[in-house]
Amino acid sequence: MPLLELNNLKKYFATQKAVDDISLTIEKGQIFGLLGPNGAGKTTLIRMITGIFYPDEGEIIFDGKKFDPLNDIAYIGYMPEERGLYKKMKIGEQALYLAQLKGLSKYDATKKIREWFTKLDMESWWNKKVEDLSKGMSQKLQFVTTVLHEPKLIILDEPFSGLDPVNANLIKDEIFNLSKRGATVIFSTHRMEQVEEICDHIALVNKGKKILDGTVQQVKHQYKENLFRVTFASQLTPEHLAVDLFKVIKRNDQELILKLEYANNNEVLQYFIHKGLQIESFNEILPSLNDIFIRLVEGTPVTRQFQEVNQ
Amino acid sequence: MNKIILILQREYLTRVRKKTFIISTILFPVLYLGLIFGTGYIAAKTSSVLKVAVVDSSGYFDKGKLERENQTDSSTILTLVNQSEDSLKANYKTLGFDGFIIVPANTSWERGLDLKLQMGKTLGMEGSSPVRNKMNNIWDNIKNEKLGINDSIKHTLQTSSVRLSQKNLNDDTANSGIATGIGYFSGFFMYIILLLYGSQVMMGVMEEKTNRIAEVIVSSVKPFQLMLGKIIGIGLVALTQFALWILFIFLIYNVTGASSKMDASMTTGIVGGMQAVFTSIDVPLIIFCFAFYLLGGFFFYSSLYAAIGSAVNEDMREAQSLSFPITMLVIISIALMSAAMKDPSGPLAVWGSIIPFSSPIIMMARIPFGVPGTVPWWQLIVSMASLIIGFLLTTWFAGKIYRTGILMYGKKPSWKEMLKWAFRKS
Repeated sequence: MPLLELNNLKKYFATQKAVDDISLTIEKGQIFGLLGPNGAGKTTLIRMITGIFYPDEGEIIFDGKKFDPLNDIAYIGYMPEERGLYKKMKIGEQALYLAQLKGLSKYDATKKIREWFTKLDMESWWNKKVEDLSKGMSQKLQFVTTVLHEPKLIILDEPFSGLDPVNANLIKDEIFNLSKRGATVIFSTHRMEQVEEICDHIALVNKGKKILDGTVQQVKHQYKENLFRVTFASQLTPEHLAVDLFKVIKRNDQELILKLEYANNNEVLQYFIHKGLQIESFNEILPSLNDIFIRLVEGTPVTRQFQEVNQ
Repeated sequence: MNKIILILQREYLTRVRKKTFIISTILFPVLYLGLIFGTGYIAAKTSSVLKVAVVDSSGYFDKGKLERENQTDSSTILTLVNQSEDSLKANYKTLGFDGFIIVPANTSWERGLDLKLQMGKTLGMEGSSPVRNKMNNIWDNIKNEKLGINDSIKHTLQTSSVRLSQKNLNDDTANSGIATGIGYFSGFFMYIILLLYGSQVMMGVMEEKTNRIAEVIVSSVKPFQLMLGKIIGIGLVALTQFALWILFIFLIYNVTGASSKMDASMTTGIVGGMQAVFTSIDVPLIIFCFAFYLLGGFFFYSSLYAAIGSAVNEDMREAQSLSFPITMLVIISIALMSAAMKDPSGPLAVWGSIIPFSSPIIMMARIPFGVPGTVPWWQLIVSMASLIIGFLLTTWFAGKIYRTGILMYGKKPSWKEMLKWAFRKS
């Protein structure tokens, strides 16, 4: 049973259709990437999942039952893009307060905070104020407050923005760990290289609509251009390449980038072997998510335009 | 429900532990009392005695009369001198005087007298009045002598006067003086609390926006719970601060020996006064009503302030300009209070005490005049009911605005936009 099902969600504001009929299914334990350009409707979608906004139309099924914001938010952890904590409050106290608001008892919350602080090297921070922390430190703290109550669903909106590589790596590892322990993670970002590293399943939204939905591999194969890279131990001659099987896109001394249109891989390999060439490696060049993203989103205006909405 | 308690706990503790709270709680009564006693002390120590020379060409003013006046009021000393105006003008300073007065020869006790106090500087009106008073006292003496008014006639003139007190045919125990005093006091007290802590609520609400933590909190609790928790938490801080102030003033008053300045007659006078207060007004009722109207008024106004705080963007000036109409309502109520108190049963007072905007202040001003004497039971009940409905409405309204405003960053909304938020379905 999927953890989260979004069916035909719609949310219109006076100036735009922020979410215009989006349906998604997210299975338990997935690390799901929610992608899209600025103004696509990601944040509005997320706010509906966390119960901050109510959909105009459509339904949300959480863990097999209709989404009940009052009770289900105890099982959801949300780290919004707009980072924020009470600046003048002490860190330990604030983590405790936020955990209690999620429904944890004071005892449980204190115990868990201590565990996380130890894990992430934050023990000495307990009595410091948030305003004493650097940006990276406060983001680590915010991450801890998001996952403290062991939620079933963790939603992270641009969690790595502003983090240095060391801290980004730390958070990435923690996301993997949480997923291994059974949590489902929705991860919203523009940074495609991170998506490729972390997510198994992705969806791309643009202008309130969903335009892609699948595993990373599926999506890449959907948009592949049949490009292959072959490297040889022997030298290539032009005579080797005068054949209809493939088209040469790029050629170095011992490396070729080919586009296959009609032939399949085995035919090409057999051809080279037949020619007596020593093959070192042969693999497909799949498009990067970054390229796919740009290709799909290109042509839409750079920023979201306002439109008249007739309800 | 627990979440509201969690929130109000946090709001209360964060504020009460701040240094500014402790400082302002201790400082305010100290400053206040310091002001009262200090200014009096300084004024007494620094004022110098005004020495005025009097040249009398009329023969009315004799040494004895001036001496008697100088003994009664030693802040000025009038001395008879025998010089011409010109020579006095030249050397009054070297003779040790601050100024002089010339009484002309053609003075007649039946007409008035226009005198000029000539000095090297100009005093304020208050500065020259002791001199004028002394001269008038002496003049009265002169008139009495010339008219043949002796002491016993003088006594009758002074003590025989008409005194007017009130009797309410419907309410035997009403006492106008006490009621007016308590009425004013309650009204002002209410006014200060509403303004001071209303704006505290407004600033408190802006905290989540300034710290950008609004979204995180709202993903754990409903915006309404957050708003209510803040309002109640800040209200409790207000109560605590006031209770501490009263305690401090009481302590300082006792400890600094201010009480020793009062002698036995004053104390019995105060105790007697207190007894009169207790008999002429219904103290338990007043205390109950005061608590009710304080709570009701606080909720009524602070939810409006909370709505505004949630709609603006961290800019105090925006907040102040949007909140101006609300502040005006409180100020208008206080302004109406004096007029209403002239006739506590009149239409201004009645309507003012029923409409929720002004009822906390005006009803509290009316109640000491007597329930049901001046305030019929039905008026009291209608007023309380309308205040309850009032604050339920403003809290509901504020909740709607709060839930939208708190997540919005960007341009400041107009009142029209905020109304739209209130009535749009969430």
